[in-house]
Amino acid sequence: MNKDVVIKCDSVSKIFYSSDKGFDVVKNIDLTVFKNEFLVLFGPGQCGKTTLLNIIAGLDMPTSGKVYVNNKEVIGPGPERGVVYQSISLFPWLTTMGNVEFGIKAAGVGKKERRKRAQYYIDLVGLQGFENTYPIKLSGGMKQRVGIARAYCIEPVVMLMDEPFGALDAQTRYLMQKELEIIWGREKRTVVFVTNNIEEALFLADRIVVLNNCPTSIRQEYVIDMPRPREYTGEKFLYLRKEITGNMDKTL
Amino acid sequence: MQTNIKVEVKNLTKSFGDLLVLDDISFNVTSGEFLCIVGPTGCGKTTFLNSLTKLYSITKGSILVNNEPVNLKKHNIAYIFQENSTFPWLTVEQNVSFGLDIKKVPKDKKKENIKEVLDIVGLYAFRKYYPVQLSASMVQRVSIARAFATKPELLLMDEPYGQLDIELRYKLEDELIRLWKKTNTTVLFITHNIEEAVYLGDRILVLSNKPTKVKESIDNHIPRPRSIVSPEFVKLRNRVTELIKWW
Amino acid sequence: MMNNRYLRVFLKIFSAIISIGAFLLIWHIATNGTKLGELMPGPIELISSLIKSTYTNIGKYTIIGHILFSLSRVLIAFTVGGVIGILLGTAMGWYKTAEAIFRPFYEMIRPIPPIAWISLAILWFGLGEIMKYFVIFLAAFSIITYNAFAGAQAVDPVLIGAAKMLGAKDSRIFRSIVFPSAVPYIFAGLHTAISASWATVVAAEMVRASEGAGWLIIQGMEMNNMIQILIGIIAIGIVGLLLSIIMRGVEAKLCAWSKSGK
Repeated sequence: MNKDVVIKCDSVSKIFYSSDKGFDVVKNIDLTVFKNEFLVLFGPGQCGKTTLLNIIAGLDMPTSGKVYVNNKEVIGPGPERGVVYQSISLFPWLTTMGNVEFGIKAAGVGKKERRKRAQYYIDLVGLQGFENTYPIKLSGGMKQRVGIARAYCIEPVVMLMDEPFGALDAQTRYLMQKELEIIWGREKRTVVFVTNNIEEALFLADRIVVLNNCPTSIRQEYVIDMPRPREYTGEKFLYLRKEITGNMDKTL
Repeated sequence: MQTNIKVEVKNLTKSFGDLLVLDDISFNVTSGEFLCIVGPTGCGKTTFLNSLTKLYSITKGSILVNNEPVNLKKHNIAYIFQENSTFPWLTVEQNVSFGLDIKKVPKDKKKENIKEVLDIVGLYAFRKYYPVQLSASMVQRVSIARAFATKPELLLMDEPYGQLDIELRYKLEDELIRLWKKTNTTVLFITHNIEEAVYLGDRILVLSNKPTKVKESIDNHIPRPRSIVSPEFVKLRNRVTELIKWW
Repeated sequence: MMNNRYLRVFLKIFSAIISIGAFLLIWHIATNGTKLGELMPGPIELISSLIKSTYTNIGKYTIIGHILFSLSRVLIAFTVGGVIGILLGTAMGWYKTAEAIFRPFYEMIRPIPPIAWISLAILWFGLGEIMKYFVIFLAAFSIITYNAFAGAQAVDPVLIGAAKMLGAKDSRIFRSIVFPSAVPYIFAGLHTAISASWATVVAAEMVRASEGAGWLIIQGMEMNNMIQILIGIIAIGIVGLLLSIIMRGVEAKLCAWSKSGK
């Protein structure tokens, strides 16, 4: 199997300036993500993980360095990249259907085709029957399913996920991890997934990149080749968990 | 042995209209015990807590503290919730002092109390800071220090570490265990996180789905400090997971 | 326990009847038994006059005619003020250029109470309808603009980012994200604005008119007719209440997404 490079970060740095001082938020990130790989960016704190993801998304520009997706330099948002956010980023005035079809509607896809495609992804995340429900009436887990379907519906090459399950309770989180693995198994995409939860990282990742906090830089990489689905209390799982958390940046 | 019972919940039942939420829950908490309560997502956890704190009137049954019906004016009960509940207009020190002022604790004693709890949570150096100047985990430690400072008879905690990083959580949980041992407080800790419950509790009360009942009460004698990878820990965690699992 | 809810509604209505009834009774006793009767008509007299005024003319029209006059003035000026206010406010909140151009003028006008414009409006537009439209327009416009502006500024940046990542361009973001986000704010503004407009029409009619609810009151004062004044006041109160109930109904429909309820 040849490994096609989908995302390439070339010494990406970001400095935030406030009045007279500059803060290093992201520092010298060199990162390559391969086709259909599930890559987890794992690290403590809130420093620069989201910024890094936003730079790949094209919502934020690096101070220096470049990002390439499919060999094209990223200079703004583009339809080949979809984002799933942690916070409830659904449009509250739109139903499940309205949210999921938002992107392809903006792209001018006709109503019949649009509905068909949106319905496919609504079914994929298991929300059939809730097409006409507003976000406020959905549970946290269901909202995040809408978020995933919405990102999938523009049929991006790359899925960027920023702590998508961070606001859910521990048990719903396990459920969503399992579901995401199934969805990803069925609709393969290149995924960059940010989390500070080691169980989540180990359950989902093909490869874990451990990040330092403030400024965000790469600390170490682990290739995770345990067979799927993984057991949270499996011996290897717990061993890796201990190993990786032991190697985390403790400065907070 | 009767005298050792701190909290006695007898046939606690709560319904909203036709909807039965809590169904005949009975259990005791011994003085100084650290009891963890876990249940599946959506298991009437909030209703249960609000009934204990008398925010809701209960439909049937009774809750006794020291053999008397629970009375917030009489019994010193403290709560720590998941959301930040510090007062933003008060400094760390003033936040901790708040409950002590209400209880009219003398000045010297108060000062000593504040120093003691802030030392344990490692925030004494930050006593003049306002919550907004602190990180999320530090703010949560302020709430915890504030609750322990009044030396409550009973401390209710509702997923206080829900939003924190795992590593940091264990650090704070170790801190919690130290505060608990030092103050001999009786703690009722409610959570969705099974591993957390196994890590902290002397005993784990497993609740069922709605209408909520007590499914099982499991003693946890694993010596502290506990290791999450030790076989006995994994065994107990898996056992509790099997009782709850719906995902 | 379905009965419980009905019981609660019943108790609510029952206690409302009791308290209003008690008020009317005390009023009746006070005006009939004491010297207060010289200053105030009793409730029975007032209510029967109110009913009578719906089919006999006061001045040129019945009470319903007067109210319809005032109402049409309000609705025309309020609608124009609302449309302009919503467009200008959301545009100022989202487009920096729009803010730079219009905000200074707006901030100059905003703190002036609409009634203060009446004299100037008479000099500009004469005593006719335009003068009244103008002051009511100002009342509605300044409140609605402010709320629409605040609403557009308060839009969650995460939603903007999400829309961009889904391929939305600037004008679509304005239409599909900024505008709906601002709707709850706009409605809060419309609520305040309709009350302010209703207050302003009464004031404008008091200054100069030959019909309308404000005219009723001023005319009553000039004729020393207390019942007419009170009828005017009650009519104004009832219409104000009806307007706000209608607004709330429209809001409940349009903002269903922001309320948990059923």
